[in-house]
Amino acid sequence: MNFGLSTPMVLLLLPLALLPLLRSAQVPQNFPSIEDIETDPVSVAVDWVLRLAGALAITALILGIGGLHGLGRTIEKTGEGAHIVLLIDRSSSMDNTFAGRAPEGGEESKSAAARRLLKDFILRRQHDLVGVAAFSTSPMHVLPMTEHKEAVLAAVDAMDRPGLAFTNVGRGLALALDMQEADTSPAARVVVLVSDGAAVIDRKVQDALRTAFARRPINLYWLFLRTEGTPGISSVPAPGEEDTPQAMPERHLDRFFKSLGISYRAFEAENPEAVGHAIAEISKLERSPITYTERIPHEDLKGRAFAVALVGLLILLAAKLAEVRLVPATEGA
Amino acid sequence: MRERLDDARFWTLLAATALTCLAILLPRVTLTRDVYDLLVIVDITGSMTTRDMSVAGKPASRLDAAKAALERLVADLPCQSRLGLGVFTERRSFLLFNPIDVCADFAPLETAIQNLDWRMAWEGDSMVAKGLYHAVEIAADLKADLVFVTDGHEAPPLPSGGALPEFEGTPGKVLGLVIGAGGTDKVPMPKYDDDGNEIGTYGPMDVPQENHSGPPPPDAHLRPGYHPKWAPFGSDVPQGEEHLSSVKSEHLAAIAARVGLAHADLITSPDLLSAITSNAHPRPVEVAVDIRPLAAALALALLVALYAAPLIARRIPIGI
Repeated sequence: MNFGLSTPMVLLLLPLALLPLLRSAQVPQNFPSIEDIETDPVSVAVDWVLRLAGALAITALILGIGGLHGLGRTIEKTGEGAHIVLLIDRSSSMDNTFAGRAPEGGEESKSAAARRLLKDFILRRQHDLVGVAAFSTSPMHVLPMTEHKEAVLAAVDAMDRPGLAFTNVGRGLALALDMQEADTSPAARVVVLVSDGAAVIDRKVQDALRTAFARRPINLYWLFLRTEGTPGISSVPAPGEEDTPQAMPERHLDRFFKSLGISYRAFEAENPEAVGHAIAEISKLERSPITYTERIPHEDLKGRAFAVALVGLLILLAAKLAEVRLVPATEGA
Repeated sequence: MRERLDDARFWTLLAATALTCLAILLPRVTLTRDVYDLLVIVDITGSMTTRDMSVAGKPASRLDAAKAALERLVADLPCQSRLGLGVFTERRSFLLFNPIDVCADFAPLETAIQNLDWRMAWEGDSMVAKGLYHAVEIAADLKADLVFVTDGHEAPPLPSGGALPEFEGTPGKVLGLVIGAGGTDKVPMPKYDDDGNEIGTYGPMDVPQENHSGPPPPDAHLRPGYHPKWAPFGSDVPQGEEHLSSVKSEHLAAIAARVGLAHADLITSPDLLSAITSNAHPRPVEVAVDIRPLAAALALALLVALYAAPLIARRIPIGI
């Protein structure tokens, strides 16, 4: 175990511990001459025990006052989980209900439903490392990969605030991949894209994404919060309709993801229950072994330091009680 | 025994021993301490990339200076304080995450602050007053006080007369601070291309010098080429210094006063903590305080006195 002091400045007081080695706490007494007294080993030993007891008591008190503690450590453990980046769509259409209108009465907006279920997901996954990124018109780094559940929940909580205008999926994904890139552990990597629509991904960005996905395996989940009556991932263009990314962005985004050659699944959810099922499914799929760290909190050793000081003090006190006052012979006669 | 009772050394030693026993046995006491719940909104518009600040003696952009000050604030805030983060561009503030504990969640909080970037901005406009009003709304909803960091550079400029937009909330419900980031001298702002590469600085023709969305100023008819219908602002190329930027302290003080916040400039008061603690709602929390070291310190003082007294008294005793 390593030790630490909360207030290292107290070490400046440590020279005080030398005092008992120089001076005795016993009462000095006059004695005509000590020349005739031979040094006997027992007396020398007693003398040193007393000096050391004083030094020990002072040292222990100083360390205790300085807040002596055993340093907290992190130990690595193995569990089940993954390193997840939540990529959240913060465009303003997320503020609507699944029926595509502004929520009223007891209705839940898409983002509120997703928020509730995602929070539940995060709480149930014990050993995951989760990062959060948001995208709308531009990609936004929200939280780095972290094991601090409270922070992740706070970031998910912020997702049902009114969003911005556009849905720039491509750059959002690039940011999510960047966040995964920064982390070098061998754990399973997951990107969970939560969005209610898709958009055309720029050719240049498409190529960049292809290279980034090719660099290392990433499991991609697309939780598509579909508004009733709008084209979905599997919608096929009616005869005579255009089959272009501009006309059917969802279908083409799905095709693009499939063409990446990565482990990819899309979940199309048209109501809160379906979102719940999709999240439960992701939770079931992502169970690969993962090393996670567990913090062992630091241990307060002040009490023990004071106990050691008490031992030294009790020795000194015993010596004090054993003290005998020498009485000059003439007065006694 | 009687002699022992007269011996000051005995009593000192006994007292030191008793105090040490006390130091072992004393329970923690509960004290009340004030902590703060804050929402920090940082302006990430283009003018914040102007390099007229310094961090640790090196030139830095306003955004970097703001980030450095915020990192220090997070470290300085008392534990159990909470801090949420958001960014401002265009006319609105965007919440990244709700307030989280500055001690327990220190690491992600610090990294999130470091990762604030002007590239997150979604629009080129910078309507500071409206962004501040919106931030106050979010803060009220989160039951937090607001720290709004900006250089106060309105783009497009406010309409003639400088009237502030209407604030619909209750001034003073949310307390906090508007922090001005930037130097006092007007300097050119860096300009970036679509891929985020710096390509020089803004010239006078690159930015709107005057707000043409409202009615023209009352003296517009004196301008050359004035026509009430076809050229209500005159026909000359507007002259101005909107392409140069400095921290707009007066404007910030005005909009801060409008919503009931205080105002401070980063260059004059780099210590955000004291400015914030005097302008935010304190939230009292109970903390367990370890007072054992106090008893131990007294014991130590007695013990040292016991050994040092003879030295100080310059009496040279005959040791045993």
